[in-house]
Amino acid sequence: MVRIFGWFAAISLLAGLVMAFGVAPREVTQGNVQRIMYVHVPLILASYVAFVLLAIASLVYLVRRDPRADRVAHASGEVGVIFVGLGIATGSIWGKPTWGTWWTWDARLTSVAILFVMYLGYLLLRGTIEDPERAARYSAVLGIVAALDIPLVHFSVYWWRTLHQPPSLMKPGGFTGSTSILWPLLVNLLAFVLLYAYFVARRVRLLRAEAEATA
Amino acid sequence: MPDNWGFVAAAYGLTAAVLLIYWQRLVRREREVATLQRLNAERSHEPSRAGHPRPEPASRPPVP
Repeated sequence: MVRIFGWFAAISLLAGLVMAFGVAPREVTQGNVQRIMYVHVPLILASYVAFVLLAIASLVYLVRRDPRADRVAHASGEVGVIFVGLGIATGSIWGKPTWGTWWTWDARLTSVAILFVMYLGYLLLRGTIEDPERAARYSAVLGIVAALDIPLVHFSVYWWRTLHQPPSLMKPGGFTGSTSILWPLLVNLLAFVLLYAYFVARRVRLLRAEAEATA
Repeated sequence: MPDNWGFVAAAYGLTAAVLLIYWQRLVRREREVATLQRLNAERSHEPSRAGHPRPEPASRPPVP
């Protein structure tokens, strides 16, 4: 099952690459560097999915004390940190030629950096507490609290004046650009969400096997 | 504006490299855990060596 998931993710990533470089047009003002959007936006949105799932799984763990929910939260946090880290890095690479700087402390960039550090802290907390039950409980609380930063990241571009552009997809009134940009973006979004699901499924299986092997 | 293909290559290359490294790390750890599980299973099937085993008849001292 996990293997089939992996193949779906690989095929959709390949389709996403073809769409980003073969179908999407060259953007008029930014030129071809705008193609970074087809990897940057899906990475960030997939990390939102990861952290929302982490918060839900953490809540389930706190209510039921089910180790399966804790394993889902742990796996989702790990993959989410990688995705948001890559989202920040690709955004920085995109920012240099378009804004003239790798980084600026505006509301969007600062709030997403806080999100990254909080989930990095989540993983460190898990690693530093030896008692698995206590580690699961404490990290579940942190996972739920950290999720409160997601709306702050998303709406920061509306609430404060930022250098970062407003959202392309998740905004009131929906996507207003050309469909030749929308479809490559949607295909890449699907690809990265599938990749996230594949990684999480595989990591959950590994966490279960590790728990059984060390029991 | 110039196309800045170098930045595009850097963004896609970095993403591909990090995701591949993570995938390889998962695969390697799965192999390690599978080996650990196999060793645990082998140990659990071996006869217990606790205590003092009875010597074989040939090695026993003759009865006076």
